[in-house]
Amino acid sequence: MYGARVAFQPSAATASSSKEKKRRGEDDDDEEDDNEGKGTEAWERAYADERSWEDLQEDESGLLRPIDTKTLVHAQYRKRLLLRSSTGGSAASRIQKGLIRYLYIVIDLSRAASETDYRPSRMAVVARQAEAFIREFFDQNPLSHVGLVTMKDGLAHRLTEIGGSPEAQIKALMGKLECCGEASLQNALELVHGYLSQIPSYGHREVLILSSALNTCDPGDVMETVQRCKKAKIRCSVIGLSAEVFICKHLCEETGGTYTVALNESHFKELLLEHAPPPPAIAEYAAANLIKMGFPQRGAEGVVSICSCHKEAKVGGGYTCPRCKVRVCELPTECRTCGLTLVSSPHLARSYHHLFPVAPFDEVSPHGRPGQRLPTTCFGCQQSFVGQGGAQPSLRTSCPKCNQFFCIDCDIYIHESLHNCPGCESQRNSSVL
Amino acid sequence: MKLEVEGLTVYFPYERIYPEQVEYMRELKRALDAGGHALLEMPTGTGKTAALLSLIVSYSLESPQHQHQLKLLYCTRTVHEMEKTLAELRLLASHLPPTTKSRLLALGLSSRKNLCVNPHVLSAQSRDSVDAACRRLTASWVRTLAHDNPQVPTCPFFEAYDRAASAGPDAVLLPPGVYTLGDLRSFGRSKGWCPYFLARHMIRYANVVVYSYQYLLDPKVATIISKEMQKECVVVFDEAHNIDNVCIEALSVSIRKQTLEGATRNLTQMSQEIERLKATDAGRLRAEYNRLVEGLAQRGNLAITDAWLGNPALPDDILKEAVPGNIRRAEHFLSVLRRLVQYLKSRLLTDKVETENPVNFCAAINSQAGIDQKMLKFCYDRLHSLMLTLEITNTDEFMHIQTVCDFATLVSTYARGFSIIIEPYDERMPTIPDPVLQLSCHDASLAIKPVFDRFQSVIITSGTLSPIDLYPRLLNFSPVISRSFTMSLTRDCICPMVLTRGSDQLPVSTKFDMRSDPGVVRNYGRLLLEMVAAVPDGIVCFFVSYSYMDGIVNSWNEMGILQDVMQHKLVFIETQDVVETTLALDNYRKACDSGRGAVFFSVARGKVAEGIDFDRHYGRLVIMFGVPFQYTLSRILLARLEYLRETFQIKEGDFLTFDALRQAAQCVGRVIRSKADYGMMIFADKRYSRHDKRSKLPGWILSHLHDAHLNLSTDMALHIAREFLRRMAQPYDKTGCGSKKTLLSEEDVMRMSEGAMDTY
Repeated sequence: MYGARVAFQPSAATASSSKEKKRRGEDDDDEEDDNEGKGTEAWERAYADERSWEDLQEDESGLLRPIDTKTLVHAQYRKRLLLRSSTGGSAASRIQKGLIRYLYIVIDLSRAASETDYRPSRMAVVARQAEAFIREFFDQNPLSHVGLVTMKDGLAHRLTEIGGSPEAQIKALMGKLECCGEASLQNALELVHGYLSQIPSYGHREVLILSSALNTCDPGDVMETVQRCKKAKIRCSVIGLSAEVFICKHLCEETGGTYTVALNESHFKELLLEHAPPPPAIAEYAAANLIKMGFPQRGAEGVVSICSCHKEAKVGGGYTCPRCKVRVCELPTECRTCGLTLVSSPHLARSYHHLFPVAPFDEVSPHGRPGQRLPTTCFGCQQSFVGQGGAQPSLRTSCPKCNQFFCIDCDIYIHESLHNCPGCESQRNSSVL
Repeated sequence: MKLEVEGLTVYFPYERIYPEQVEYMRELKRALDAGGHALLEMPTGTGKTAALLSLIVSYSLESPQHQHQLKLLYCTRTVHEMEKTLAELRLLASHLPPTTKSRLLALGLSSRKNLCVNPHVLSAQSRDSVDAACRRLTASWVRTLAHDNPQVPTCPFFEAYDRAASAGPDAVLLPPGVYTLGDLRSFGRSKGWCPYFLARHMIRYANVVVYSYQYLLDPKVATIISKEMQKECVVVFDEAHNIDNVCIEALSVSIRKQTLEGATRNLTQMSQEIERLKATDAGRLRAEYNRLVEGLAQRGNLAITDAWLGNPALPDDILKEAVPGNIRRAEHFLSVLRRLVQYLKSRLLTDKVETENPVNFCAAINSQAGIDQKMLKFCYDRLHSLMLTLEITNTDEFMHIQTVCDFATLVSTYARGFSIIIEPYDERMPTIPDPVLQLSCHDASLAIKPVFDRFQSVIITSGTLSPIDLYPRLLNFSPVISRSFTMSLTRDCICPMVLTRGSDQLPVSTKFDMRSDPGVVRNYGRLLLEMVAAVPDGIVCFFVSYSYMDGIVNSWNEMGILQDVMQHKLVFIETQDVVETTLALDNYRKACDSGRGAVFFSVARGKVAEGIDFDRHYGRLVIMFGVPFQYTLSRILLARLEYLRETFQIKEGDFLTFDALRQAAQCVGRVIRSKADYGMMIFADKRYSRHDKRSKLPGWILSHLHDAHLNLSTDMALHIAREFLRRMAQPYDKTGCGSKKTLLSEEDVMRMSEGAMDTY
């Protein structure tokens, strides 16, 4: 049995490889889709998913021109990165982050969720993205817990208990997809408040509401509930699907959460995934305290034992709790018998980069300062900055520490997946040698 | 911050300034330099008041070459606006350098009801009864009586003020500063002085006086309050889009049956009073008679507390002659009034609508009641003198006879621009007899003319003054500057739309022949239904009239549309009852706050359309159902239209459209009160898409009204609304960037003015 501190000491970080793999996988999928699309003639393709007209934009003189999605995405990414680093998390000022999060996702299944301005319906989009979010969330926060709550018919209903397994949550969510009646913000908050107030003090209490409805039908004064949530230090965030609602904004402002409204499905996904990295810790909680954790051993192959989570005999695999020697199937979890938090060391390592993020790179103008020679290739991927055929040189950035230059794609990869700057790492290695 | 506007240092109470405010100040400065009048339109929410106050205050305090310091008379419509203006002024004062600050004295002036601190007087209900209660305690004869007999109650605050004032006018001075009505009251309480009379005294010394329109436009009040204002004044009429109506109302009188009955009672009371006086103190009546023989209608130096409402006619039109002999004696005068009241009563008995011009009316009075025009002209002054002689203090009970005398004086003084309309019943309820005799003024320029003539600069400003060339014609003056400013926005935060068709592509309109068509009613209902489902928080709907609103809400109820609306939002309705409406508004706000969402049904030209703001989430969308034309069969309107055509060559159609569109603009302008705010406006009538109607909307709405939004059906409007709301919910940068800079710091303004210099 070991004790682990929530605030870690810096050491060489390991990048999460699974995420990287996943990203690759997605890219492959996209390519396949493209191939499929190219195989058929334009008129044979279903235009429902493609929506090519949405890529056009009217300019001031009324002409249609295609939206430059790539530069748009890059600009958005830069903005987000700078925003994130300015609100905290830059390497210079180490901000504590709540790594152990207890998050309730409130899903609005009121009448408004059946509207079809998102295809096929708001509800389906929310469910799909919530699924992706839950996976991503556990990927980034292995020590955290998620529960699901639904709002419909003016009531709030707890779909799943708060827990550490993504699969169980997703299964429960997919089974319960039908929408009717009104949404009640107050009921949902009261319910979540009741559950979250039992959480131990080191855990960060969070609610994420995915709201389709534009109104809330409450039994009492919702303002009081907002104040109670504030008192209980529950951070409430809302993602709206259609428009800004005053009470949601008020709730988020009061409890320190964020309020965003999605423009379309991809924007919704983006907004949702912004909630995956851990938020800065609330000041009162900043005092680091010790939490008992167990690092169980993986069971040997071929050993038959009864697992405590499914209550059935299993051959091989599984982990053994270091305190009570009971068998569990998945990590991270809490031991059913002794209540010890069970994690594996890669989990801790994966949470670690949130505390020491790579500093945002500085943007460099494509032409550079006069008299300064810029390298022509990206330090990361070794590809040339200068586009073929006299195309406009793409955006480039440089690391403020090692002054190496990177292309924007490598920049995204470094900050979102790798969490290490190759330039700095190689420098350190050479100095050690 | 400090900025330079064409060589003048202007102190501005905020760190940043909008570019249109700088523009506004520049135009204002030019108007002040030229010493002429100006007409400035700037949208609400761009800090018009702040810009105006900072420039004028800086202008008047900073230019030592002016012998008389410029004085600012700031006219607002309501007490609430007055308080807001004074709060703004206080903020400005705190940013002035100490030497200038010590020279600034600004105060608000309102009626006794808002300023009195005497608990006995304040217990009275209405404004008139507060005035009367005050007079009962402070009239000169009451105070003389109290001097001999301490049992007679007087007002301790006024007595204290009077004792202090007797040492000389400088003994009662407010220290420099900005005084709201509340400040005046608390100052009065602490000193034990009457705040009302103190304020009346202090307006002579103040640099800035904030008061109501009436204090300048209504001759009855203006002669008392604003008589002593010097020529070097800048008069500002804020929110002045309805100023022509205020001018007209100031010179219009309407007499109902109750008025005449009350007048008869007053006359009886007065004759009793005269009898009593004859028995006890005949000398007083004789003294009055002698004074009238000498030719003085007014008694000369009246004590400030005795001064009563002045003559209803404009100062230039009052006869400077002796009162005619046949009404010098009190009894004779009373019998003249009795005959007049009797005659008016007989006119009210008519069963058909009559319209007459003042000349004919006076001739008819002369032939039938034997009262000639000159006697009528002196009615008001004679009554005033008589009431003082009789020492009547409960003036509120004598309102009726005053109204009759107002009428008599006005009808005999003005031959043009007025007409007398007698209606036996309300057009909308022909079964209920409710005779009313109206003397209506058609010429807005009459009441405002003395203001233009007397004061150096008159600034008329509002959020909606379009078309800006019509106001000079209506008010008959020539402005040196007339400009309409647009709003500089970081994002397109207003989204006006013209909806011409329902989702079934049939046109919608409140035109007379279409408004009761069930298809139109249904289409309007569908529109509302779609919008309540797509728009968060508050929605405001304006209808063209109460009767139309009642009708359409009834039909919606029968069609089940209202029930469907209630599933999404609660419905609140404005009524003619003020208390009920206030309650409805309160609950509407509560519903918006708590996220339940609400719709407010209101009427254009109503109280809500004029005075209540639906900013932020209280109004994300405003729907204007129909074009709010005036009731075109109204006799008063017809008479006014005829007059306008003959005198000012303004076509009937032009004026009606102008009036309807300024009301519509006023209604939809309720939703946007600042730049950080956003809101949509739907004009739901096919007539709005026509150029002659649309072009009369203010520029700041027109500039956001894209061609694509001119001819929408319900489903298209819904799509646009959804997109707009999503876009507006995204975070944005408040200061704007690059060329679209909308918040200027001190350096930016410097650079701007330098840039302007370079171009010359």
